[in-house]
Amino acid sequence: MKDPYKVLGVSPNASNDEIKKAYRELSRKYHPDSYVDNPLAGLAEEKFKEIQEAYEQIMRERESGSSSYNYSYGWSNTSTEQSQELTAVHNYLAAGRYYEALNALNAININERTARWYYYSAIANAGLGNNIVATEHAAQAVNMDPYNAEYQNLLNQLEWQSRRYQERRYGGTGYDGRYGRNNSSCGTGNLCCDILCADAICECMGGDLCSCI
Amino acid sequence: MFGYIVINKPELKMKDFYKYRAYYCGLCRMLKARYGISAQFTLSYDMTFLIILLTSLYESESKHERKRCIVHPLKKHDFLQNEITAYAADMSIVLSYHHLLDNWRDEKSLSGLAGAKALKRACRKIEKKYPRQCKEIKENLRLLEECEKNNNNDIDTAARFFGQLMGGLFVYREDVWSESLRRLGFYLGKFIYIMDAYDDIEKDIKKGNYNPLKKYYKSSRFTQDTERMLTMMMAECSREFEKLPCLVDIDILRNILYEGVWTRFEKLRNSRINGEKSKEISLHG
Repeated sequence: MKDPYKVLGVSPNASNDEIKKAYRELSRKYHPDSYVDNPLAGLAEEKFKEIQEAYEQIMRERESGSSSYNYSYGWSNTSTEQSQELTAVHNYLAAGRYYEALNALNAININERTARWYYYSAIANAGLGNNIVATEHAAQAVNMDPYNAEYQNLLNQLEWQSRRYQERRYGGTGYDGRYGRNNSSCGTGNLCCDILCADAICECMGGDLCSCI
Repeated sequence: MFGYIVINKPELKMKDFYKYRAYYCGLCRMLKARYGISAQFTLSYDMTFLIILLTSLYESESKHERKRCIVHPLKKHDFLQNEITAYAADMSIVLSYHHLLDNWRDEKSLSGLAGAKALKRACRKIEKKYPRQCKEIKENLRLLEECEKNNNNDIDTAARFFGQLMGGLFVYREDVWSESLRRLGFYLGKFIYIMDAYDDIEKDIKKGNYNPLKKYYKSSRFTQDTERMLTMMMAECSREFEKLPCLVDIDILRNILYEGVWTRFEKLRNSRINGEKSKEISLHG
């Protein structure tokens, strides 16, 4: 498997927008429509697919570390205390069979719903797109067993996306990690405003940051 | 149910606003040309968003014209149209036929409108062209109706059907982007559904109508809870969006997804805090 960054001709530190631009240029160049009567059509198609896969791979990689509900690397060695029913749920989840998992979960009596029940329910619901219930159940699992790191991790994962969205909304002009986002906590997000403030503070202290303001 | 996926005009650059309007006008013109003047009531900002999104993704070539029209008879306006506009026009008709494009407060029956028969005929033609989308729309509406009849109070369950409906709509054709578009549409659809429930909560409680937000209404944290739920939806939606290689009109799309969609919510929240009756907001432009 070739290095996807090399395929797109970008550095691994490139921003998302740069990746998208590179993808665009290359996919335009090798688009099958431009090779209709061309003997190189086969090669172009292969290259086109390669570019597509490289783009998808990079996007996937940059995403993970965020909320991927991929259960296969979320689970611990299940406790031997786990009931048969919950083990079945666990197996469904590992196979990505969320509907079956939910059915199995709902078959368990309300009085027997432990923290782990809520944990599994959160994962199953998340897998099906029921993110509200998923978050509520993850919170419930943490509530019932506050020292369980797994449960806390899941809750963090589920809440992370919302935090990221809020950051993008309120955190300044840059959606691509440029100015305003992930920067120091003191800053208005507006460059001019920041310079004005910095200059004012500087002058207060007897200096002068910018002589023209 | 529609009209929440709008721009935040003050935050948009002038050139982007004019381009946005050109897509909107292009859709209007296409609807009139294909389905007659009565079809123009099916025009929506939501479908305009879809046009801009898909045009950006597929980099469709747009035809640009500057003309006058009935609504703007004095000044020439820009129109942008492409194959996506045609798709959105068709989808607008279908959605409208299923009583979904009700921007009006009081329920007006479709059959009272001139050209209702024409709409039905048009729908049949569209079903032949886009069988998958039409089937998904019908099926999800049926499931939603059932859910509401059974008084299922789980908000995820209720919102899901509208989400699936939008998700299906967003998939213009089956290709490498289908999954992403479907997810994007799914969460946007859920956002719209929840937003609509929030909009109607007071009326629904008074009239005893179905509203899955009712169980949250009793809490003093109702507004925060709703905002949290809406944020969750936009978070997933925008996450999917940022994965797409959209470059053209990215500012317009981000304006809508990060700012514009909150317009109605913020207006309602503020007016409810101030205790005044929520006014009709002008959604035009």
